[in-house]
Amino acid sequence: MTATTAVVAPAPVDRKRTGYLRYGAGKLGGALISLVAVLVTGFFLFRIIPGDPVKAMTHGMPTSAEQLATLRGQFGLDLPLWRQFTDYCGKALTGDLGLSYQFHAPVGELIAQKLPATLLLTGTAVLLYSTLGLWLGTRSAWRHGGRADRLTTGVALTLWSVPSFWLGLLLIITFAVGVGPLPGLFPTGGMESGGERGFAYAIDVAHHLVLPVLTLVAVGYAQTLLVVRSSLLDEMGGDYLTTARAKGLRDAAVRRRHAVPNALLPTVTMVFINLGHVVAGSILVETVFSWPGLGGLFYQALSVPDLPLVQGLFIVFAGAMIVMNLLADLIYPLLDPRVRR
Amino acid sequence: MTTPLVWARRRDSLTRFWGTYRQQRTGLWGLTALLVIGAVALATPLLTDGDLRSVADAPGGPLEAPSGAFWLGTDQFGRSLLGLLLWGARISLAVGLLAAVLSVGIGTLVGVIAGHYGGWFATALMRVTDWFLVMPALVLAIVLATVMSRSLWTVVIAIGVTSWPTTARLVRAQTLAVESRPYIERAKALGGGHGHIMSRHVLPNVMPLVLAQTTLGISTAILTEATLAFLGLGDPAVVSWGGMLQDAREAGAVSSGHWWYLAPPGVAIALVAVAFTLCGRAVESVLNPRLGAVR
Amino acid sequence: MATELSARMRHTLAFGVAVLVAALSAQPVRAADDGERVLSVAVSQSVDSLSPFLAQRLVAITVHRLIYENLTNYDVRDGRAIPGLATAWTSSPSKLIWTYTIRSNSRWSDGEPVTAEDAAWTFNTMMSDPRAATANGSFTANFRKVTAPDPRTLVIELKKPQATMLALDVPIVPKHQWEKVRNFSSFNNDQKFPIVGNGPFILTDFQVDRFIRLRPNKDFWRGAPHFDELVLTYYKDGDAAVAALRKGEVSFVPGLTPAQASALSRTERIKVNDAPGRRFLALATNPGARSQDGQRFGSGHRALLDPGVRKALFHATDRRTIVEKVFRGHAVEGAGYIPPRFTPYFWKPPAGQRIGYEPGKAAELLDQAGYRRKGNGKRRDKNGRPLEFRVLCHATDPNDKAIGRYLQEWWGRLGIGLQLDCRDNVSDPWLSGDYDLAFDGWSVSPDPDFVLSIHTCAALPATARDTGSTDNFICDRRFDELYAKQSVEYDAPQRAELVKKMQSRLYDTGYLNILAYPNAVEAYRTDQIASITTMPESGGNIWGQDGYWSWWSAKPAAGAGAGASGQPSAAAVLSGMGTALAGAALVAAVIGWRRRATADDRE
Repeated sequence: MTATTAVVAPAPVDRKRTGYLRYGAGKLGGALISLVAVLVTGFFLFRIIPGDPVKAMTHGMPTSAEQLATLRGQFGLDLPLWRQFTDYCGKALTGDLGLSYQFHAPVGELIAQKLPATLLLTGTAVLLYSTLGLWLGTRSAWRHGGRADRLTTGVALTLWSVPSFWLGLLLIITFAVGVGPLPGLFPTGGMESGGERGFAYAIDVAHHLVLPVLTLVAVGYAQTLLVVRSSLLDEMGGDYLTTARAKGLRDAAVRRRHAVPNALLPTVTMVFINLGHVVAGSILVETVFSWPGLGGLFYQALSVPDLPLVQGLFIVFAGAMIVMNLLADLIYPLLDPRVRR
Repeated sequence: MTTPLVWARRRDSLTRFWGTYRQQRTGLWGLTALLVIGAVALATPLLTDGDLRSVADAPGGPLEAPSGAFWLGTDQFGRSLLGLLLWGARISLAVGLLAAVLSVGIGTLVGVIAGHYGGWFATALMRVTDWFLVMPALVLAIVLATVMSRSLWTVVIAIGVTSWPTTARLVRAQTLAVESRPYIERAKALGGGHGHIMSRHVLPNVMPLVLAQTTLGISTAILTEATLAFLGLGDPAVVSWGGMLQDAREAGAVSSGHWWYLAPPGVAIALVAVAFTLCGRAVESVLNPRLGAVR
Repeated sequence: MATELSARMRHTLAFGVAVLVAALSAQPVRAADDGERVLSVAVSQSVDSLSPFLAQRLVAITVHRLIYENLTNYDVRDGRAIPGLATAWTSSPSKLIWTYTIRSNSRWSDGEPVTAEDAAWTFNTMMSDPRAATANGSFTANFRKVTAPDPRTLVIELKKPQATMLALDVPIVPKHQWEKVRNFSSFNNDQKFPIVGNGPFILTDFQVDRFIRLRPNKDFWRGAPHFDELVLTYYKDGDAAVAALRKGEVSFVPGLTPAQASALSRTERIKVNDAPGRRFLALATNPGARSQDGQRFGSGHRALLDPGVRKALFHATDRRTIVEKVFRGHAVEGAGYIPPRFTPYFWKPPAGQRIGYEPGKAAELLDQAGYRRKGNGKRRDKNGRPLEFRVLCHATDPNDKAIGRYLQEWWGRLGIGLQLDCRDNVSDPWLSGDYDLAFDGWSVSPDPDFVLSIHTCAALPATARDTGSTDNFICDRRFDELYAKQSVEYDAPQRAELVKKMQSRLYDTGYLNILAYPNAVEAYRTDQIASITTMPESGGNIWGQDGYWSWWSAKPAAGAGAGASGQPSAAAVLSGMGTALAGAALVAAVIGWRRRATADDRE
């Protein structure tokens, strides 16, 4: 919640078209600089991880100095640091993120293999919890201070303070293992039972998706709710609402036609930012539910340490955040009716 | 220095602050909960005899269900889970507090400096801040915790270093607002140096904001601590709530149905996190009623 | 995003939600319900590669045993070498030339016959291309020449005698499929399915961290496996795997914790197999890391060079408590180096030699060694520095951490400080000798040559810059003499006697304190698997055998069928539908209540 209040601050925008272009170019430039910075940090951050990957790879096998040298050569670890860096930058720009030490496969390929699973999980979750947060947030704000508002906000805050992995484990116990007379209704983990095709496969995946998505939604919707609620409260002080009411419009109509669209703005921005966040944040839920996505891969890569893979994932995670922030920045002025007016 | 006057004024504003805070019902709930938990955490070593954390002298059998002797049952070493839960409060609170203080400290420093000096220096500083803001904090914290040796301080640093940018931005905005006030002009004209202005005028004015940020930060820090411990990046010799959850999972408590091992640490984490969030939001809305945060 | 929905839309929504809940909470009925008998196994370790030239992880090696054959196999009863791809073998008197006869009744799954040329090509590739030697290069490092004079004869010439010639765990691959491979370090054998092999199973599909599917090889010379399909399914979380077993989603789960085992042993239709393990868990002492050229390196504690101190630490370690408390009885108390499962080689220190748990004696020994303490303080050396050890442990192994906590307390009472240094990756401090003590463990093969060789001087790294095969930098002249004797001793009882003497010597040095032999604790559903062969056949384990016995021999039970992957019972379906209905009712109730609430607002 604290992070968003800072990020979602609307940027001042010129009304003219050229103004928007200039604004867009500025944001684009900023994002590019950030991406380069990520690339650079990605490289150096993971050189300070203690450990000689080649020795880790060969632990327990008799390996001569020459063999170690060959391996180092194979992974380009024998070059001076600056050469490794330039090689890495050159390759990264063409989309080549190197070869994973433990899987002997191109990092890009590994990430591409696991990306759909993560996108499915996080995309569904963000969509659901944004909708839920928007709905509850609007209702809460409209009758703020009332019992329903206090209850909604209280429940959301509590769920938000719950560790997601813990909630996931509890859901597994309750709904996957089964408690008492309640049988295990949902699968305990993974993404598919295997063997199904077509529609049956889709249902099967959806079946596996329920508990992890539920976990993410429960922990995540509070943020949307609070942002929607507070921006609506801000809007409700606005003169135009009083005018609208004075015109004799019904409460519901005022809410639907006037207040909500304005409060929607920060929500849209937040959906994008959340998408960026959640990709990295699903590490825990993916671990608990054995979901075959990027989060699990990241954790696995760190323990070797499989530098190219960790590096590649870091770039993907941070890159996703930057791109999503950029999109939010670019879309915000387009949506703002005060700009279009 | 006109110290008595200043003190009187500060006492005044504190009283006023408390007066408004008192009206925030949820804020009071949060504060009460925190005071109780804090008192229990501090008193734990006095209330119990012997070292609760000892595995060799553990009083019970492994993974016992709740009973009269062990209200919450025992862990795989036969230690009382209630005792561990109480003891874990000390660690979780300490780590949360230290990490939040570190994070807000860095944020305030960066924010005040960037706000005060302005120019290309501030631009560069805020560029770095923005960049940290888009970094996936958990990923960065995990990497840091992996790089450094397993200890409590590692966790504190990993959390503190990755979570300061929000504070920096808020503090910078506040600093800019404060510095545009006329009395700062006056102070400058009277020959007040950068250090004087920052510490005497800007800092007291951003302090309330910093307080709110710290309170909110603690709940995030406690959650992150639990997360890192759960991923096995904490100090295995230290009893913390996150560590207990990790122990429970490693012992296979989930599938063997030992819910009494799993539930209490999570509830405790959520309770403390909610309490801090409520306090933070109450402070926030006292300072900025337009936010209308909680009520 | 309209928040005010018309009444009709609300009903549609409620109905939609109800249908969705119903669809999702009922277990999906398998599409292909044609009576296929599926054996599914829960695994957690990721496959590092499906190429036998690269794969080093247990799960990949297990799969390779199922789809390719090695020259020899291990007898399911006692683990001695028996025919595999080779039906017979002879060695020259000098033990330098080995001739294998390749069986004629083995075919690749694409129809081509398996010949000696395939085996020769496999070995030659590993010898000539370092990239192909990644996984099993140690087997061929000593090969001089490998030839196939005719399709049924394979000849291997050695540089010096090699004890593992009947235990060459190298999968033989089809030359006609593999000779097209350009770069062995990046070819993972996972692009084209089914993978051409000659083992009891054929790998038909694979998705990283999701599943590995295998079909029985109907033409397998020993006879086809009984299940219609074998699926290794991924559960990264052990609890999730156990939950899946309870529900019948999987048929078999390995690597249970004591709590899981005791909970499952009380569950109907599930059999817990608690078998003596092939691993030992030890506390290794850094004897002063060094290379063969005599250079010393690392930062091992000087006090540990004193045999008295090492003996004191032995005396201060309560192995029985470790077995009882940490393993909760699912382990055997540590004694000699080789686990009791390998009966011919098992050695136990006699009463006079045994170093038991005697803290008093430990204190005495430490006093004698010059590490004295005042009152309850830390022990200090002559220069007044406190006695403190670092213990390297695996952050991912709960047992390491648990035992570490006990050691901290036991040794702490004696005035010895102990710092647990738990890491994900222990290789670096380990290989550079930067540790005082370390948790150590090896899986022992039926032939103990390898696990003994890693404690000889020859296993030390050649220079400080190399990596040796040494486990713990142990280099002891008497141990080496015995090792040399046993490796040329071909009389089995005589050799076993020598191996026992080596263990006795190792015990006396105090460099390696064998704490326990953890059991292999695994469980399977008896309503899906009617019978399965363990190894050794009486009371052995199932997962991670030397050979394909368990999965090849497993017979489906009456209940197997499609249920192996989760056919819902009638009760589950009913209660699922009940829950769905309840959920729908709840949604409807909430909406109804909310409508009433909003009605008040509408004047």
